[in-house]
Amino acid sequence: MSETTNTPAVKGGKGLTIAIAVAAVVTVAGIALWGMQLSGGMVQTGMRNLDSWGLYITMFMFFVGLSAGGLIISSVPKAFGMEGFGGISKVAVWTSICCTVLAIGFVVVDLGQPFRMWELFAYSNLSSPLMWDIIVLATYLILSVVYLWAQLRAEAGRVSAAALRVVSVVALVCAVLVHSVTAWIFGLQQAHEFWHTALLGPWFVSSALVCGTALVLVVVIALRRAGYLELEQRYVTRLAKMLGAFVLVDLYFFGCDLLTSAFPEGSGAEVVAMLTTGSLAPFFWAEIVGCALAAVVCFVPSLRTNPLIVVASLLAIAGIFCKRVQLLVGGFQIPNVDYAFQTNALTVTNWEGGFEAAYQGMVYWPTALELGVALGILGLGALMLCVGLKFLPLKQAENVH
Amino acid sequence: MTHYGMVIDTKKCIGCHVCAMACKVENNLPNDVWWNRILTDNGGGVGFDMVGGSYPDNLQLGFIAMGCQHCENPACVKVCPVGATYRDPETGVVRQDYDKCIGCRMCMSACPYTGVRSFNWEEPKYHMDYAVGGKDVPVHQKHVVEKCTFCYHRISKGEEPACMHLCVGRARYWGDLDDPDSEVSQLIRDREYKQLLEDRDTKPSVYYLV
Repeated sequence: MSETTNTPAVKGGKGLTIAIAVAAVVTVAGIALWGMQLSGGMVQTGMRNLDSWGLYITMFMFFVGLSAGGLIISSVPKAFGMEGFGGISKVAVWTSICCTVLAIGFVVVDLGQPFRMWELFAYSNLSSPLMWDIIVLATYLILSVVYLWAQLRAEAGRVSAAALRVVSVVALVCAVLVHSVTAWIFGLQQAHEFWHTALLGPWFVSSALVCGTALVLVVVIALRRAGYLELEQRYVTRLAKMLGAFVLVDLYFFGCDLLTSAFPEGSGAEVVAMLTTGSLAPFFWAEIVGCALAAVVCFVPSLRTNPLIVVASLLAIAGIFCKRVQLLVGGFQIPNVDYAFQTNALTVTNWEGGFEAAYQGMVYWPTALELGVALGILGLGALMLCVGLKFLPLKQAENVH
Repeated sequence: MTHYGMVIDTKKCIGCHVCAMACKVENNLPNDVWWNRILTDNGGGVGFDMVGGSYPDNLQLGFIAMGCQHCENPACVKVCPVGATYRDPETGVVRQDYDKCIGCRMCMSACPYTGVRSFNWEEPKYHMDYAVGGKDVPVHQKHVVEKCTFCYHRISKGEEPACMHLCVGRARYWGDLDDPDSEVSQLIRDREYKQLLEDRDTKPSVYYLV
């Protein structure tokens, strides 16, 4: 195929340099907005007492998923001694590292007192799932870097294949763990009916695999087109089939969860109604339809063309994002104590109409400032990704499959 | 061991909001912050402080005064990554350390009792130019979580929480649940009561007589 033609030694060329500059500007703007949020107060966000988490924690969940997925894709073949996916492993790990940094960034901007973060290490309360997540996420980040480094050294002949395999196994375990622990931040809370399910851990892992595989597909196809790496089409096809399988597993888990919630016709039915016909229905149906279409593209050979695979991957990523929105907002959408009281500007996002009116639509919606800060963090991720592509030796080495 | 608890007689509560006001003044709460809120139990649909149900035979109006439930098995304490919220072993009161809180709001999402924890979303503002209430109340801080302390500064001096005072219906009772002879222990022995969200297994220290 013509797009596999390698353009030698361009290092991405002018386009990549421009991308780096744009990403840097967006990052700086984001940091400035974060400064505004800290000085003017988080009252400028859409979050309030009754919906105390919002876009930032949604994005946190989403990016932990993306990063874990990317790393799993690249480490599974090595860990089990199977044939890998061509030379994409290093790019996948780098993408994964960028996503981990983004995930951490989103937690940091969500904190009211980011300058007290040192307390996490000084006064660690090990019974908190959030603390577990911080430990696992930090380990995971360090391990991803080690894994990338080990791959580079292995190519130079400095690290044995056996050692690389050991690192792959550890990275794989950590990737599964990081996503399970993120699920437990939500799933272990008895306060929210929608979150409190044992399924949440495995479900988060399956969602991570969906969007991780999809992201790797998009990045790989784009990089191949740009001449950054060579990859045989059969690897793309194999990844696409895997994406299809992961999408179906994820939808299956959702189905299990909905059935278990709805069947007793108790309070769980309220959760199902909120998703299927209530205020979160647009996100629910976008996910279901998007993921179903993605699966169709992945499984029908005649549809498995590169442009459609990219579309399917983007649909799957958007679908998983919609799931994160449902999960986060849905957790706050049904108050446990629903007696009316006087609302004010700090109680709930849409407080003006009173307690009940606040829950008519979506209980939370982000403000422009939140969107700006989020965009800034995305800019940081793009910056890291592009700088890595330009300056790190992520291209596949000769004679390495 | 002491285990402070509160008993609120819903048959006596007239929904006057005076205890909410007493709490706000005693703790010098910033504008729009309420640790103690009077919820209206009217079947929903008509808003707070309004009579629900249908005229003339099925009217419904009741009040639930709600603040932190000071649970024996608090969901918030377990999840705080830095231990800024903790259960005081001496008194059973669930406390919050403003200086330690990193503002992650994990406790707010873990607490099943909707809205009892409040976050200072901005620099605290006050209607008065001077601080009101107890002189040893901790200073409110921006971007940290706070909530009812059972007036810890008062009970540590042997006084009762501020919401006990001025209650028009004398609906509130306060005391040691571990002492079988205390007024609160006797009330929950003799009277029918309910607790909020018992199914969440948090074992609240606030009882509502019905």
